[in-house]
Amino acid sequence: MSKRILLHVGTPKTGTSYLQDVLFRNQRVLAGAGVLYPADRFDAHFLAALDLMRLPWGGLETEAIGAWDRLAAQVRRHDGTSIVSHEIFATASRSQVGRALESLGAGEGAEVHVVLSVRDLVRQIPAEWQENVKHRSAISYARFLEQIRDPRRESRIATWFWGVQEIPYILQRWGHDLPPEHVHLVTVPPPGGAPEVLWKRFSQAFGLDGMDLDLEAERANPSLGAPETALLRRINRAANSVVDPADYRPLVRELLAHQTLSRRTRSPRLALPPDVHPWAQEVATSWVAEIEERGYDVVGDLADLIGPPPLTPWVDPDHPGEKRVAGAAVDAIRALLQEGSRLRQSEARLGAELDEAHRALERSYLRPTYRLRAKVVRRLQGGRAGRGLLGAYRRARGRSSRSA
Amino acid sequence: MTDTSAHAGERRAWGWLAHLREGGSTSWQDWDGAGVEGGPALPGAQQLELVRRLNAAGRPSPALVDRALTASAPGRGRPDLELVGAAAPSRFGPPPVDPGELSDDELLRVAAALLADDLVAAGVPAPRRPRVVRPWRTRYRLVGDPWLADPLRSELVARGRPPGGRGSVVLVSGTALDKMLEHAWIARAFSVGAPGWREWLDGLARRNRVAPSVDLLHTARTWSDRVGTDRVRIVLDQKAVPGLVGVRRGLPPPPDLAADAVDVARRVANVLGLLVVPPAREALLRETLLPRLREVTGERLAVPPEHAEWVRRRAERMRDGLLRAGYAVVGDPDLLLPRGSSAAATVPSDAGALALAVRLLLDEDRKGGTTR
Repeated sequence: MSKRILLHVGTPKTGTSYLQDVLFRNQRVLAGAGVLYPADRFDAHFLAALDLMRLPWGGLETEAIGAWDRLAAQVRRHDGTSIVSHEIFATASRSQVGRALESLGAGEGAEVHVVLSVRDLVRQIPAEWQENVKHRSAISYARFLEQIRDPRRESRIATWFWGVQEIPYILQRWGHDLPPEHVHLVTVPPPGGAPEVLWKRFSQAFGLDGMDLDLEAERANPSLGAPETALLRRINRAANSVVDPADYRPLVRELLAHQTLSRRTRSPRLALPPDVHPWAQEVATSWVAEIEERGYDVVGDLADLIGPPPLTPWVDPDHPGEKRVAGAAVDAIRALLQEGSRLRQSEARLGAELDEAHRALERSYLRPTYRLRAKVVRRLQGGRAGRGLLGAYRRARGRSSRSA
Repeated sequence: MTDTSAHAGERRAWGWLAHLREGGSTSWQDWDGAGVEGGPALPGAQQLELVRRLNAAGRPSPALVDRALTASAPGRGRPDLELVGAAAPSRFGPPPVDPGELSDDELLRVAAALLADDLVAAGVPAPRRPRVVRPWRTRYRLVGDPWLADPLRSELVARGRPPGGRGSVVLVSGTALDKMLEHAWIARAFSVGAPGWREWLDGLARRNRVAPSVDLLHTARTWSDRVGTDRVRIVLDQKAVPGLVGVRRGLPPPPDLAADAVDVARRVANVLGLLVVPPAREALLRETLLPRLREVTGERLAVPPEHAEWVRRRAERMRDGLLRAGYAVVGDPDLLLPRGSSAAATVPSDAGALALAVRLLLDEDRKGGTTR
């Protein structure tokens, strides 16, 4: 069997979590067809990406040490098709790309394909701002837009945004040494289309057509409306200094954003301001021309990159309807109260278990042999010779029951 | 091939790369030679400029030059940038730059990555073999200001006097609060890494919080809850420590480092976190890097005058809180107060830190460090 490596390197917010979840849950079926998705969790390649690109990520990087080399070794050992997928690979530098390809065995006869799933900027820009807010940022939407539109691109936000979103720039780095037919662009269909269309495109790009895969979605990265994102931003401003990063993820990102606020689907959606919309479409048009010129394989339609027309009426998330924000806040308080109740119940249960353990301990203390030993120890501690004897006994016993 | 200006620019860039590989230190702005294409792509502007700085400061080996040219800056920040004038302007990617105009901070990102690789390759020196534990030793625990307490504890362990044991007296080490804040940042730079000095200090002042590691009141309270107030001593007179831990020979003072040296350490620590597990990171920083930084001369860190009033208020609050709680204090409680603010605060400078990083890279290269 010939060696083939499919590197899915981005972009974020293009159904990547869903794809990785399908690949992870169908590892056995894929293996039967000679396709390797080497992962012990659906997003396992995230750690490999952090390691390859030496990216700190709120402490997670400690778990990532050596992850890239381990992944590359698995791919090198596999004689068939291997899939590597994570959206943050999009930001890799050219030398990191070189290291990645070399360690995967690109110079040793393996056929390397790069896959990039892409979505129009009209949806990607607000989605990226929302991701920033869901990662503790308190930056306003206006400031975010200002930073990404600054041609110097010197801010951290602009650097990251264009690093993972500018399609021709990503492919300059990842596709530099590959023939254009080995570079595949999967376009995300316009909003309102049938949900299976995107999977069909992924399936075609990854050569999975005809396989009996379980496509039930278990993972999604749900989006928030404009008032909900505004609320989250206010929460970040108020609570960032008092909520540790380790608590932020389960309480704010998961409980509030994903499990509570994302359910308010009738809220106005985040969108580009009407004055920014034409600029985004202009940028996308230049990308489409460049992609056509480079001759990459396109799965879908490049016209999808131009994006939908402006949303009317547009709701400014920096000045949202306060009634809607208040509604979202009530939902958030309810969710936190429920979580608080659950934790109190858990605390009470654990307290009862601890009391029971203490009672059991006391019962054992009341046994005559224990009382006799305790009496002897008290006597010995009363005198210098006794303390020496006790010390000798404890050293001989080989473990210490001494206090701090 | 048409002799377009774009091709001329590329030839100029390849020529500059060859010049740098030969040890040249002419800036890109002043370079007017030409060369031939020597690979799939030119290294980034940051990498090329770092090699130029290495050449200007010494004679880096070809291995070090290769490492510098292929090292991407770790973490979030600007990507590898193209040279302005080297190729036709691209409509995509960040704008190309004149490497001479790159900030020192940009170059430090790449240099820190190389230093971290050097440290990992060097490893941790064999630990000093501790002497046999003395059974009749004074029982103590040494906590508080980590930059004061940690080296003392290590020294005592090496002398066969480990902390702990029945009836230990808890010694909470401290000094003037401004010094303790400096110590807290330095200790953090040499363990988990830290933000810049000003960013870190400004954040504390804004939140009106003392760094937890030097919050003596909190530390004392934690220990008195466990062992009782009568077994806790606040030690502000460092000369009293040997007597309190039962040694006659003096104990070494904490390492006194230049501000730029600490800044290099904290940048390297941030990268090391991506290469080794936390205990190994701290050991590499304190046992391999720290000895190399001890001799570095330069200004010492100081709290800037705009925070002097805040530090004084917090120090008074700490002193009053400790006295009110009834802890025994060794030394004058007023030793917690800052000893007059320095007129000109010292903050690490990017230029100084970069010069030091370049010197460390060259030193390690001379010793035959990593060839990764």
